[in-house]
Amino acid sequence: MSADTMQVIQQFLLLLQYTLIFSSVLMMVALGGCFSEHSGVINLGLEGIMVIGALGGALVMRYLPADASGLVMVLLVMLGAVVFGLVYSALLGVASINFKADQTIVGTALNMLGVAGATVLVKAINTASNPDNPSSIIEYGLPRQNFLVTFKIPVSVEGGGAERFLSFEFNWFLVVAIVMLVAAYIVLYKTRFGLRLMACGEHPQAAASVGINVLKMRWSGVLISGVYGGLGGICYIMAAVSQWEFERGVAGFGFLSLAVMIFGQWKPSRIALAALLFGLLRALSNVGTGFAALQALNIPGGVYNMMPYVICLVVLAFTSKKSRAPKAEGIPYDKGMR
Amino acid sequence: MDAPYAIEMLGITKRFPGIIANDNITLQLRHGEIHALLGENGAGKSTLMSVLFGLYRPEEGVIKKDGVPVQINDPNDANALGIGMVHQHFKLVECFSVLDNIILGVEPTKGGFLQKDAARKKVMQLSENYGLAVDPDALIEDITVGMQQRTEILKMLYRDNEILIFDEPTAVLTPQEIDELMVIMKNLAREGKSILFISHKLAEIMAVADRCTVLRKGKYIGTVETKSSSMEELSAMMVGRNVNFHVEKKPARPGETVLDIQHMSVASRQHKKDAVHDVSLQVRRGEIVCIAGIDGNGQSEFVYGLSGLEPLKDGKIFLDGKDLSRSAIRQRSILGMSHIPEDRHKHGLVLDYSLEDNLVLQRYFEPEFTNKAGFLRRDNIRTYAERLIEDYDVRSGQGPVTAARSMSGGNQQKAIIAREIDKDPELLIAVQPTRGLDVGAIEFVHKKLVEQRDAGKAVLLISLELDEVMDVPDRILVMYEGEIVGELDPKKTTQEELGLYMAGAKRDEVRA
Amino acid sequence: MKNLLKRKGVQSLIASLLCIVLGLLLGYVVLLFINPAGAGQAILAVIRNFLNVSKANLQLKNLGNTLVKTAPLLMCSLSVLFAYKVGLFNIGVAGQYVVGAAAGLYAALQWGWGWLPCLLLAIALGAVSGAIVGMLKAYQNVNEVISGIMLNWITLYTANMILSGVTEQASPYTLHLRGNADQAILPSLGLGNLFNKHQYVTIAVPLAIILAIVVLVVLDKTRFGYELRATGNNKNAAKYAGMAEKRNIILTLMIGGALAAMGGALLYLTDFEQWSVGLSSVPGMGFNGIAAAFLGGLNPIGAIFSSYFIQHITAGGAFVDKSMYASQISDLISSIIIYLCGFVLFIKYAINTGLLRSEERALLRKQKAAAGGNTEKGGAS
Repeated sequence: MSADTMQVIQQFLLLLQYTLIFSSVLMMVALGGCFSEHSGVINLGLEGIMVIGALGGALVMRYLPADASGLVMVLLVMLGAVVFGLVYSALLGVASINFKADQTIVGTALNMLGVAGATVLVKAINTASNPDNPSSIIEYGLPRQNFLVTFKIPVSVEGGGAERFLSFEFNWFLVVAIVMLVAAYIVLYKTRFGLRLMACGEHPQAAASVGINVLKMRWSGVLISGVYGGLGGICYIMAAVSQWEFERGVAGFGFLSLAVMIFGQWKPSRIALAALLFGLLRALSNVGTGFAALQALNIPGGVYNMMPYVICLVVLAFTSKKSRAPKAEGIPYDKGMR
Repeated sequence: MDAPYAIEMLGITKRFPGIIANDNITLQLRHGEIHALLGENGAGKSTLMSVLFGLYRPEEGVIKKDGVPVQINDPNDANALGIGMVHQHFKLVECFSVLDNIILGVEPTKGGFLQKDAARKKVMQLSENYGLAVDPDALIEDITVGMQQRTEILKMLYRDNEILIFDEPTAVLTPQEIDELMVIMKNLAREGKSILFISHKLAEIMAVADRCTVLRKGKYIGTVETKSSSMEELSAMMVGRNVNFHVEKKPARPGETVLDIQHMSVASRQHKKDAVHDVSLQVRRGEIVCIAGIDGNGQSEFVYGLSGLEPLKDGKIFLDGKDLSRSAIRQRSILGMSHIPEDRHKHGLVLDYSLEDNLVLQRYFEPEFTNKAGFLRRDNIRTYAERLIEDYDVRSGQGPVTAARSMSGGNQQKAIIAREIDKDPELLIAVQPTRGLDVGAIEFVHKKLVEQRDAGKAVLLISLELDEVMDVPDRILVMYEGEIVGELDPKKTTQEELGLYMAGAKRDEVRA
Repeated sequence: MKNLLKRKGVQSLIASLLCIVLGLLLGYVVLLFINPAGAGQAILAVIRNFLNVSKANLQLKNLGNTLVKTAPLLMCSLSVLFAYKVGLFNIGVAGQYVVGAAAGLYAALQWGWGWLPCLLLAIALGAVSGAIVGMLKAYQNVNEVISGIMLNWITLYTANMILSGVTEQASPYTLHLRGNADQAILPSLGLGNLFNKHQYVTIAVPLAIILAIVVLVVLDKTRFGYELRATGNNKNAAKYAGMAEKRNIILTLMIGGALAAMGGALLYLTDFEQWSVGLSSVPGMGFNGIAAAFLGGLNPIGAIFSSYFIQHITAGGAFVDKSMYASQISDLISSIIIYLCGFVLFIKYAINTGLLRSEERALLRKQKAAAGGNTEKGGAS
């Protein structure tokens, strides 16, 4: 194998690695949005939920002793993200379900509150342990290794020299994402809960008339979106780096997931495909410059970054008239005065 | 079980902020009977049913099942007691299948997973037993209204409900479907189900019900055996006085043609067929022409096409000889078309605007109300509104500045009529102008239409109410499936003949 | 008192004040939670903002800083509330603000344009951005919130790409206008001198306030405003009355886009801040504009005060004791306030229900009193 060939393969592996992990993030968060919307609540606060979920997971990694076993670490980190995401999404639930607040305002507020809250908290923690460190960074280089399986394939390169490796990082979050996808599909289409949930997003009065507690179902939808969003958040910040600066938020992944959900027409299987496509585009913006062919095209990373939004906008422009969006989403449910 | 009544509602009182919706109401439903609940809009029928269904909790009163007092706190309780209801607006999830809709809320499951096969068997069995043909796998959005209603009935039967409530079930049906429903209801009663039939259509009540309870303005008026009663008696109980069924008017003296519609077609939003197909008609000065028909036969689309809310697919519209076929709504309005819309909340009013702002809705842009710089002339608007309020007796809390939302339905309609008539139109289009109004307001509206006719205007009335169709116009055109199928003289025809045309059982070749 | 409570304006004011008080209170609780020792001090620092410094000169300078950032925020909130009157939620305001900032900076630094053409270009492109959302809404029925969000990100990435041509060497920040494009800096007309020779206080501040008044007049007093509000309240009725619904939707979002973009230009053409092409998230100014619009009761005059208030506490965050708390505590407080703004409708509903209840009670009392008068001789109750 020539050195050039090897480089191309390595770049390709890297692209695959990023695509898979970004797709996992997008898919999980979009599925979260999907649950919330199927119950009738538009969740524009996914970005904020991701940040808080990420914070939950990162705090577990910061405080858990480094000698904790790998499996315990993995499970507790996920639990931390899930619990934080769940609790945070309750803010959306209270406002939009019980108080019939405007879901757009509340979602927007959650996005800002997520970043501000995480920043304030992490800075407080950092300054408390070291007054000279007023940063909003949490490091998790070592614990992160528990989530990874690194494959190193030795290759002999023409022209000799030391033995070189092709490397590929497998991330356990891929498995988590697939499990969460299958779970979403089964819950939505094969269970009583799913049937009732979707009835509440399509026609809450009909659901109420057969004795379904619409508010409870909507709460379930929102809380599940918190679980999925939180998982997506921790997965995202651990995707490629070993520390995270919480001031930066999650760089629009929550919004990108919204685009995935719309492009996936609120259906889990299509959401998975949409996530793959958008994940690839995001990966290209990160590592695409490594490809000679793409380099020659000289496309700035920003173009890849904006492509998902452009695609989504175009799709919306052509399909909005027969959109499969849940019919009652965004409309607060009023069960009448009691 | 030997108690004479399946359900009793005794002394029910339900208050909402500002109004008493049910004031000491009693309703007793016998086993195996069809019991009609009669009352005008706003009489308190819906509130009473919501109480029975546990959607509202009454301040006073008792509900008894088979003689035993029961507490109904939510629809689950009602369901547990065997009470089921077909709502006026179906409670069906459009993108679900018939089967999913039937089992929703009482899904057979194993470990939380749906078990649809058993459910399907039961549904098919029920559908056969009661002659309720449905396709369990069809999506609700793809099936007819009749089949949707059968799905609703199956929902109740699937739950083994013994007490079946039908809320205005015939409003959306064709005459054939109504007949079928009547048969189904009688079948159900024969099988021992107790049926509560909410309606304001006297003929249907007389045809199918054993007894009838009448409500008026939230109060209990009485319960009568239909066999020993008459439509006149029921109607008197319902409205509190004998209805003046006949509109006083002089014979029409039609002049030249004002509106000339030639071969008009309007595409449908729901399906591929035209909603309105090749309709030609004329309306002359000094006459009221009524387009009659059962709801959903293209009347709404016809009006949309005529007023410009929807584009024409084909054909021409002339007003006083001017071709308006492609003109904008505003243009048609300026050239003399006034339109009292079918739905006053959807089209007729901006509910959050004040009364005065609503009264200039068709004229705000005229120099009288807007100056050259584009600023509104508030003083003129106020003066104008005060005059209309005076002339048309529009009643409201705070006069011109009252929010339209806070006004009663009758006064909202009066405001719209004032606005449309005061524009001094050549052609007045009135679409179901008395829908949801009390008798006094209905009389007022009819009087105004006749006044316009006598003032030499052309009036086009679109109505679903047979009484109105027979009494108000000078000519009747019947619309069926988007076409004009007959022209009748209200003085010579009968309700029966009209009904045949409306149901599509009879049609003439109407001249183009 | 009750009649006063019935007025919509008064209800809005009460609701907004409630949001502010609760927001500050919750912020204080967070501070207590982090470090009880300095919490009171810190929350006061946030509230006092420029009053934290003792010298009058420095106070003026700090007030000037706050005002410089109030102008763009006010523009963004005007954009939001203008669209909201027509029933549209212009979440695209965040991207439109970026359009204005990028257009202004690029025209200034790359082409050497003067401030007025820069400002006009920003306004025009903002209008185009709004028009895209408007046309998608009018012709294809695309929800403006969703298309707005998509455009926010498209705009951000575009802005970063374009502006990377005019950055400082080996830095993600765009060049300073001062020294590189002096002609593009907004004139101060002596306003800076009022704020202790504040070089960044320019005509942007009065211009934004004038525009708030213009928006108020247009909405309340003109035929155009009458049409827009009618469309917002009931677009079917507006169509029925012959108003050009689609045109009005597009026009509204164009104006909204123009206002927000002008806000972006009004900040960056003062040279107060440099744009970083490394930005990975849409700047919060537009989202804060949503907050200001709702906190101001969706009234343009209210927006002037709410915009100032939000910038006031944001700037105040800089004065908290950094050894204990992060300056983002003020971001936290303002996002809590936005969150609470979601409850405004509920607060108003509660006020109205309360009023209705007390009226009913009064009525009942009257009836009872009347009945009691009649049965007085009967004795009991």
